Amino acid sequence: MAQADPHHADPRSGIGLVEEALIANEAWLISLRWWAGLGVLAATWFTTSFLNLSLSAFAFYAIGLAMLVYNLFLFAILKLRLLVSPRSVKPFKSLALAQISLDWFAMILLIHYSGGVESPAILFFFFHVIIASILHSPRQTYIYSAVAILLVGGMTGLEYAGLLQHHSVMGFADAPMYKNTLYVSGVMAFFISGIFIAAFIASTLNHRLRQGQTEIVKLTDRLQRAYSRLQTLYDGMQALNSTLNLQEVLDRLSRDTAEVMGVRGCSIRLLDKTGERLIDAAAYGLSDSYIRKGDLVLSYNPLAREVLAGKAITVSDVALDDRLQYGTQALEEGIRSILSTRLQGRREVLGMIRVYSTESGHFTEGDVSFLNAIANQGSLAIENAMAFKALEEMDEIKSKFMLMITHELRSPICVVRSLLCTITSGYAGAPTEQQADIIKRALQRVDFLQTLIDDLLDLASGKSEPIDAGTWVDLPLAEAVGRVITRFEMPAKEKRIELKWQCEPSDSPLIVSATNEEIDRILNNIVSNAIKYTPNCGTVTVTLECIEGCAHLKVIDTGIGIPDEAQARLFEEFYRAPNAKAQVKEGTGLGLAITKTLVNRFGGRISVKSKLGEGTEVIVIFPIAVREDPPIRRGG
Amino acid sequence: MANKVLIIDDDDDLVMTMRLPLEAHGYQVFRAANRQEGLQKVKEVKPDIILLDVMMDSMTAGFEVSRTIRSPDPTSEYAAYREIPIVMITAIHATASLRFAPDKAQLPIDAFVEKPIEPEALLSIVRDHIGKHRP
Repeated sequence: MAQADPHHADPRSGIGLVEEALIANEAWLISLRWWAGLGVLAATWFTTSFLNLSLSAFAFYAIGLAMLVYNLFLFAILKLRLLVSPRSVKPFKSLALAQISLDWFAMILLIHYSGGVESPAILFFFFHVIIASILHSPRQTYIYSAVAILLVGGMTGLEYAGLLQHHSVMGFADAPMYKNTLYVSGVMAFFISGIFIAAFIASTLNHRLRQGQTEIVKLTDRLQRAYSRLQTLYDGMQALNSTLNLQEVLDRLSRDTAEVMGVRGCSIRLLDKTGERLIDAAAYGLSDSYIRKGDLVLSYNPLAREVLAGKAITVSDVALDDRLQYGTQALEEGIRSILSTRLQGRREVLGMIRVYSTESGHFTEGDVSFLNAIANQGSLAIENAMAFKALEEMDEIKSKFMLMITHELRSPICVVRSLLCTITSGYAGAPTEQQADIIKRALQRVDFLQTLIDDLLDLASGKSEPIDAGTWVDLPLAEAVGRVITRFEMPAKEKRIELKWQCEPSDSPLIVSATNEEIDRILNNIVSNAIKYTPNCGTVTVTLECIEGCAHLKVIDTGIGIPDEAQARLFEEFYRAPNAKAQVKEGTGLGLAITKTLVNRFGGRISVKSKLGEGTEVIVIFPIAVREDPPIRRGG
Repeated sequence: MANKVLIIDDDDDLVMTMRLPLEAHGYQVFRAANRQEGLQKVKEVKPDIILLDVMMDSMTAGFEVSRTIRSPDPTSEYAAYREIPIVMITAIHATASLRFAPDKAQLPIDAFVEKPIEPEALLSIVRDHIGKHRP
């Protein structure tokens, strides 16, 4: 893993915290300089107006103004650079150099005009050295200090030698001292040592501070990386556990692992049934030809054996490691180092996960622990998905078997029924009254058997068919209910049952996403039950309304009701409430089980409320389909 | 001239229950017991309607027969018979039968009927589909 560079805490911006500090300090320096320039102007005015000192006021005003003017330029340049090239540090470094150079030039002029070596302003150079240590490295600070000494020393020497005019501040020092050798050498000795001591102390302190800051930047960076890895791992595992589709789990795991570890690719191989081969199950970031290079055969592959035994193995240089079964292919793929670890389920080894890098020696100890953590979490998700797949397969086999059995049962019954119908329809000659009666009874038995088989078939196919939402269509539920109501008008009339249908008007038709046949089957089952178990002259009310974005369908009857103890078992296969059995002899006890399976298929819920002897209310709730087109308003 | 009905079904008893009412109503009934015989009879008889069982010698024999007859290939030997109405008859539910159909969206048939069929229902289906050309 690449080490954090404190100067590049954020690799995308190319600018680090230390550089950010430089820019901030430069801005601070500019803001200080406004006060310094104004200070020079104010001090000159004060001195000439109140202190009765003789000095060349013009020079001081000029220096003060010059400071303000060049500060304005520096300010403009800083703003411009921040705007134009905020990601490059170099311009800011040269700006710092310009600032210090200009300041020192202004400073030496101030000292010169305020008495040279006699000037108390000489002390201000110490601030400049401290400022230089803040902006620059210790070495540069010493260079600046030497320059300061050269400037002051040069100026003093030139004045001493008479080569530069000396400006005495009359009234401040009575006798001119700039020609006094002892005074000049004394001041210079103290100035030189003072400057160097100040440079030493300030730059040492600043250096330590900077080191501390660099450490903090490094730590912050490492923490951020660790946090981002953990976050990605957590997100990945959340996503993994959100699906039970094995291939999806494997694909996501390989992709997320490669992305979070910042490597070229990742592959997952699972052990086959013989436990002898590792078969490609998912891969990310690798070429097709590399993925399909072949299975890993454990007997030829000591490395894979070791990994499966529980050891995470790093191949630091593919070219130099002969333990790889497909070393040449890996080199051709551009892979230089590989890290492999085991996928261990709760009971057995599942396979192996590998990450590939294009750099040799890429993987660190930290990467090994991280991949192990991913493998542990990933294994659980893989195992869950495998278990689910096995269950699904078992269920599918069971249902197909059921379907075949049903077909074999149904076919002869259909034939018997058709044969009997041929007689009752008179196509085989007219039967006698008694014969007709016997055939009628036989037909009734056959019909019951046929219903039973049909129900079994529905139950089997309802459970076995994979949910294929692609075959669903948008159905206006009210229309489907209306059709079923029409179908039951006659049977209701025969029992003098009042069949009421109330559809609450709504802004848009209640559309559900489902298949026509299956919605019809659901509605048919519920309404036929209500009519079947409601005594003569009762009432069956069907209502449809939209509550909180769901279609609520209620079928309320004034029938025999369901005993409390039977209500919990109502949706069990083959279960019939005792009072229902007594009332209607024929019945398979599969109708409600089928209804529930179908309702759940379309994302709905079904529940029953009932009071024995008073009636039953069946409530079916369907989610309303989200449509892309605007709802059609009823009645204009 | 009497309309010709070709029943392709391997169940003799069921064929009888269809044959009796159809003949009683003046149809000329032909019968084939498997896929191969069915395709051959289509060419020989050139029926006005085909009643086709789904499961015969294989789970999807009926689908294959209908696909062969309705093949869009212009050089197909059944090109002349493409317009004959085909009614699929299945002993298991239509939706369940379709599970075995490879390309259920484009199943080339005109109707799907579940067994058992009442004689009157059979007659009405045959009446409805004879002469009805596919769009």
